[in-house]
Amino acid sequence: MDSLYLLIPIALIFCVIAIKLLLWAISSGQYDDLDKEAWRILAEDEPEKTPNATRDTPASRDDPQHD
Amino acid sequence: MLLVNETPSVNPKDVCYHCGESIPRTTLISVEIDGEYRPMCCPGCAAVAELITSSGLDGFYRQRSAYNERPRQPDATTATQYLVYDDPELAATFTRRDEEGLINASILLGGINCAACTWLIEQSMSAIPGVKRALVQLQQARLDIQFAPQQCLLSDIFTQLDRLGYQPRPFQSSTARQQATFERRAALRRLAVAGLGMMQVGMFAIALHAGDIQGIEANYQALLRWVSLPVASFVVWYSARPFFITAWRHLRQGSLVMDLPVALAIGLAFLASVWATVSGSGQVYFDSVVMFTFLLLLARFLERNAREREQFAWLDAENSLPSAVTVQRNGQWVTVPRMQLQVAETILVNAGETVPVDARVIQGSSAVREDMFNGEHVPRAVGINDVVYAGTLNAEQSLTAQVLVDYRDSRLAALQRSIVQAQTHKPRLAALADRIASWFIAGILLVTALTALVWLQIAPEQALWVALSVLVISCPCALALATPAALTGAATALRARGVIVRGENALEALSRATHLVFDKTGTLTEGTLTLSEVVPLGNEARHDVLAVAAALQRYSTHPAARTFATFEAATDFEHVEYQVGAGVEGLRANDTYRIGSEAFCRELAPDFPSPPDTIRYWIGLCREGVPLAWIALDDRVRPEAAEVIGNARELGLKLALLTGDSSDQGPALAKSLGIEEIHTAQTPQQKMAWVKALQAGGAVVVMVGDGLNDAPVLGIADASFAVAGATDLARSQADFVISGGDLHQLIATVIKARDCRRVIRQNFGWALGYNLCAIPLAACGLIPPWAAAIGMSLSSLLVVANSLRLHR
Repeated sequence: MDSLYLLIPIALIFCVIAIKLLLWAISSGQYDDLDKEAWRILAEDEPEKTPNATRDTPASRDDPQHD
Repeated sequence: MLLVNETPSVNPKDVCYHCGESIPRTTLISVEIDGEYRPMCCPGCAAVAELITSSGLDGFYRQRSAYNERPRQPDATTATQYLVYDDPELAATFTRRDEEGLINASILLGGINCAACTWLIEQSMSAIPGVKRALVQLQQARLDIQFAPQQCLLSDIFTQLDRLGYQPRPFQSSTARQQATFERRAALRRLAVAGLGMMQVGMFAIALHAGDIQGIEANYQALLRWVSLPVASFVVWYSARPFFITAWRHLRQGSLVMDLPVALAIGLAFLASVWATVSGSGQVYFDSVVMFTFLLLLARFLERNAREREQFAWLDAENSLPSAVTVQRNGQWVTVPRMQLQVAETILVNAGETVPVDARVIQGSSAVREDMFNGEHVPRAVGINDVVYAGTLNAEQSLTAQVLVDYRDSRLAALQRSIVQAQTHKPRLAALADRIASWFIAGILLVTALTALVWLQIAPEQALWVALSVLVISCPCALALATPAALTGAATALRARGVIVRGENALEALSRATHLVFDKTGTLTEGTLTLSEVVPLGNEARHDVLAVAAALQRYSTHPAARTFATFEAATDFEHVEYQVGAGVEGLRANDTYRIGSEAFCRELAPDFPSPPDTIRYWIGLCREGVPLAWIALDDRVRPEAAEVIGNARELGLKLALLTGDSSDQGPALAKSLGIEEIHTAQTPQQKMAWVKALQAGGAVVVMVGDGLNDAPVLGIADASFAVAGATDLARSQADFVISGGDLHQLIATVIKARDCRRVIRQNFGWALGYNLCAIPLAACGLIPPWAAAIGMSLSSLLVVANSLRLHR
């Protein structure tokens, strides 16, 4: 049971990292539109593209646009 | 196959597949979507639908959760009006060039309804060559787009958005909008911290509770308490701060609000837990504190989300004005952005365009539709020296006019301001929760104090902990959740039926409504001109008269001409010519025919009689030398009106009709529908006085209007409805806006409001009943802390679950 003295602080460190990450994500605007993201995961595949339209994947398009 | 009978009220075959509006009888437009031919109400919808399917984006129709907005009829200006945005000076106000030479633009979109719209827009924008990235924010109705200026122009993007049926405008960031984003993010941050903190503290708490039951070594108990302490402290400091601030602010003003017991429960339970941790005695309530904070923040966040969704950024009257204006500068007509207009400049307003600014006509004569101000669908004739107002539609002929004032001083802006004023002056019913809070908190504090006093006599060392368990178990979480959870549930359910809820407070008023007052006849009629009567002047049969009229009106751009689109037209006309402001002339079997104004017909048939006396919109029809007919157009009563009036009476509502009109049309309408009380020729002041008098007598008045020109009257009513076609949404201001104009939703909303009130009462009943049972037990020292924590969460969950029933 003495391992608790080590494991619980480690858990707390992870918690701090998680909170930091989440706060950063919110500040960068990734959670500004909750409705759309919830819907998009169910959306059908994108239509076939014309060859000249090279685009990012939806995942990387979520990059924050405000700096 | 389509199951047509699934929804009996609306037959999907009868409504436009794109916008959901009803389809004119003889229009036969359809577009193949998903392998089936879907009916369309107008060429505009069909064009948008075809554009969507031809781009391979049919999936949009399967995924969307609401009908689209009906697109404007394409007119001559569609192609050119967006060219102004290619002007670098104007573009600079809402675009930014980044290091790679790409342009980043923010565009505000009118007509976005659901998440599927964002998908559609993103997909079709990305297909434009040169566009690197397109991202739509549904909450703000905003498109952020990045493109290479060498490959496409800003006007291409605007035009494509317009072709999809949305109304693009430059996104001007305002301080109010930035503030809203900032507050929303702050709320989300607090929620996130509380949620993660709750998980951590909850894990430790399970170990502690288990230890309480089966025994735990003191050093491990101390460890678990000491690690809970910093996490809970951070949550209380970061997430629960707004409760303390609000409670303190109201306390200083001498009012007890729901946040006060919340702040007390959180604060006292936290401080006692800290003391227990430091002194190594008593109980800790860290888990309750954090869970309580999280649940409350969650409820408030969801409520805020539901409320904000209705406050579209484009709901602004100014947005209905054209962005490009033709103005005379240095003797030449040039197109400039509306924002650059100067007072005393000369502008040109073509037929079919919206007047961009209040102006005095200096050349030309025409008729303007001013339904935005007076609800009247029949245009007002204007000539030289008459004033035309921003937001009205020039129906007949080009006008040259001199700009009188800035937008800020225009009649439209004044109207918008009066709406805002009316809304702030509205007597708001104190929220039920806050009223209950006043005596609830007094009761809790009394009981806690009594418990502490009694236990001080019996067992002084336990007094603090028992008193605290009373405070925690009586935790007002369920009580605080009762109202927001129910209101959010009702608003979401109504939204799915096409009713936009702007003022949730009005739901409470609506549930207690005693009077249902229709403001002006326009709310009970369809709001478009339809054929009401044909007075033959010759020997022609009614059918032939209409066929001739329909054939000629095809060539007219006058709003009345649309009425005839549903009739079968005679085909053998040639040399048809539209004379703006007068009518249409055409040749058939060597006879000249004319349709239009009295004077216009009289030129061809000198003995053309004057129109009948009834107040209608009369159109003359004649052949060379022979008067044929007077055709009357009228605003028809909505087909569902009678049924809705009947339902309202069954619900026990008293009905009345107020109208500014002095003709006998109002009383006739009231009589045919069975409305007992009717007041004609009412000025807005009289209407307001009448409503105030009713309210003074204890009545709760629900007003139904069209939302803009009657906004002040709607504002003083306890609850107000605006009945609007989808395209009028932007201009309608009321507590509830019925989009799509189906009056049945009026009754559905009243019923939902009553359901909502009942659910709120059940929630309060449960929360209070639970406290009544639990507090005596806690006061006797019989409830261990883990039971208190579970009881609190369960009672909150039950309240939320009960509110979810409103979604049905």
